[in-house]
Amino acid sequence: MHNIIESHRLSKVYNPHTIPVCAVNGVDLQITEGEFTALVGPSGSGKTTLLNLIGGLDYPSEGDVMIDGVDITKMSENKLIDFRLHNIGFVFQAYNLIPVLTAKENVEFVMLMQKTPKREREKRAESLLEQVGLGDKLNSRATELSGGQQQRVAVARALASKPRFILADEPTANLDSKSTENLLDIMSKLNEEEKMTFIFSTHDQRVIEKAHRVITLVDGKIVSDKKQ
Amino acid sequence: MLVKIAWRNIWRNKMRSTVVIASVAIGLFAGMFMMAFFWGLVKQEIDSAVEIQLSHIQIHNPAFPDDKDINDTVADASMIIDKLRKGAGIKAISGRAITSAMITSSSTATGVEVHGIAPADEKNISSISQDMIEGIYFDDGRMNEILIGKKLAEKLDVKLHNKIVLTFQSKSGDLTAGSFRIAGIFHSRNSAFDESTVFTKFDELAELLGTGKAVHEIAILLRENKNSDAFAAGLKKQYPSLLIQTWKELSPEMALVTDIFDQIMYIIIGIILLALMFGIINTMLMAVLERQREFGMLMAIGMNKQRVFFMVLLESVMLTCAGIPAGLILTVVTVNFLARHGIDLSAFSQALAQFGFSNIVYPELQTNMFLPVTLMTALTAILSAIYPAIKALQFKPAVAIHKI
Repeated sequence: MHNIIESHRLSKVYNPHTIPVCAVNGVDLQITEGEFTALVGPSGSGKTTLLNLIGGLDYPSEGDVMIDGVDITKMSENKLIDFRLHNIGFVFQAYNLIPVLTAKENVEFVMLMQKTPKREREKRAESLLEQVGLGDKLNSRATELSGGQQQRVAVARALASKPRFILADEPTANLDSKSTENLLDIMSKLNEEEKMTFIFSTHDQRVIEKAHRVITLVDGKIVSDKKQ
Repeated sequence: MLVKIAWRNIWRNKMRSTVVIASVAIGLFAGMFMMAFFWGLVKQEIDSAVEIQLSHIQIHNPAFPDDKDINDTVADASMIIDKLRKGAGIKAISGRAITSAMITSSSTATGVEVHGIAPADEKNISSISQDMIEGIYFDDGRMNEILIGKKLAEKLDVKLHNKIVLTFQSKSGDLTAGSFRIAGIFHSRNSAFDESTVFTKFDELAELLGTGKAVHEIAILLRENKNSDAFAAGLKKQYPSLLIQTWKELSPEMALVTDIFDQIMYIIIGIILLALMFGIINTMLMAVLERQREFGMLMAIGMNKQRVFFMVLLESVMLTCAGIPAGLILTVVTVNFLARHGIDLSAFSQALAQFGFSNIVYPELQTNMFLPVTLMTALTAILSAIYPAIKALQFKPAVAIHKI
């Protein structure tokens, strides 16, 4: 298994000219293909910032992020958008879906941007939604789904683009216990059966227990990195 | 799918979208209605001037318009009138004897222009016969009848059937006077004309002037106003020694009004559309800022900037496309109704009459108004969406996703 993600001396300083806040401070990180990794730490420890940097949603102040050997910190904004489209799946804490589209259309949307043919798009969207247990909700609008169901659609959408890995920022933060368990089961299953790499930030103990590797951040630095 | 998203997005906030659609519709209606109203006003003024005073074309001796000397008559006028009467494109033609005179009543006197007309011919060319408010338009059996305007009657303090005296210079240079009985009082849409012009029968005036069958003015009414320039050009070639003028040349101020009409209208429409533009910018900007998280998410999952820009633009175009037909229908229905019933501006009748305008304005839509105004409205809506679309492009996904 090779390193899918590598970061070297990765730092992010907000407000560098006024009141500098160092959200991520010289992080060296390697994520291997197929890992199921949790980033944990107190609020303000830099979990979300680190995920943003790894996902190419933000540029670091220092250091680099290599995805499959490609330094994404050197890419232009437009190239980075295209890179994310083809290589990274995202699941956010909330507001994951396009509210005016159905579950199936939301999943198809990413493939549409990848210019996948219509027939293939529809087939894959249906199959992915079946996989996350929403085969009966294909034509339900995002707003008609519960929080847990919306997160499952988000996972299906993240998988639709056939990404190299999925980043999830506190995916269970707004879910009840049952929905959390359900979502975790789906993500673990995808990790075990399809070797999909997951990296998620979380406070949730149930999520931490399911993770194979737990990286703890404090004040933007990795203070522990344990495999379990 | 972008079209689908854009279409569904605009109905997420029905009230806001309805306001934008209504703004586009009302903006378009306001622009079109202004054009229809002013075109109706200008056209009525032209028609009125042509019918009352100018006709489409007038033929004079080149020296006559400057000095109004009664000796400057149109050479071979009878032959020209007969020839033109047989030609195509002419609705009516009339020869007139014209002179300046002093009109005197028992109480006062004032200067007027006397038109000696052939009543039957003039009836076809001028609307004076229809503008009679008292008396009749000439009675064939009676001698020395005169028609005067209401305003002049008030000025002279005379009534129907009263006698007045016209004093003018005859062909021989002597002062000549004639007594006339007021057979009718007219009230045209042009109060200045009513105050300064009187009508007598051609033969009676010619006899007093001593000009015989000589004519000072040949007035021609064409079947179509738009043919005036071409017809006049043909006559100029045919009769190079005569002064042949279209109504535009006879009344340059009116020609100016029609010539600058389009420019003025486009300026007014531009102002209306500018107001509309700010309305749309405000609404679209609000729609974009409210959906900051959504835009952040879309960009995070790989929606490129061109698509984001296009989606915002598409939403504005769709709103416009819904507003334009609504505005056009509103315009056509309103203008058609008012074209039949008119807009009563009696409250401003005195001011309007000073400029020769009618109290009742009948708006009229020109078919060539539709395309430019519609395109201008569509362009305004598209331009209005550019700033909100640029704003959407400026969102940083990492920040926007976490906006409340």
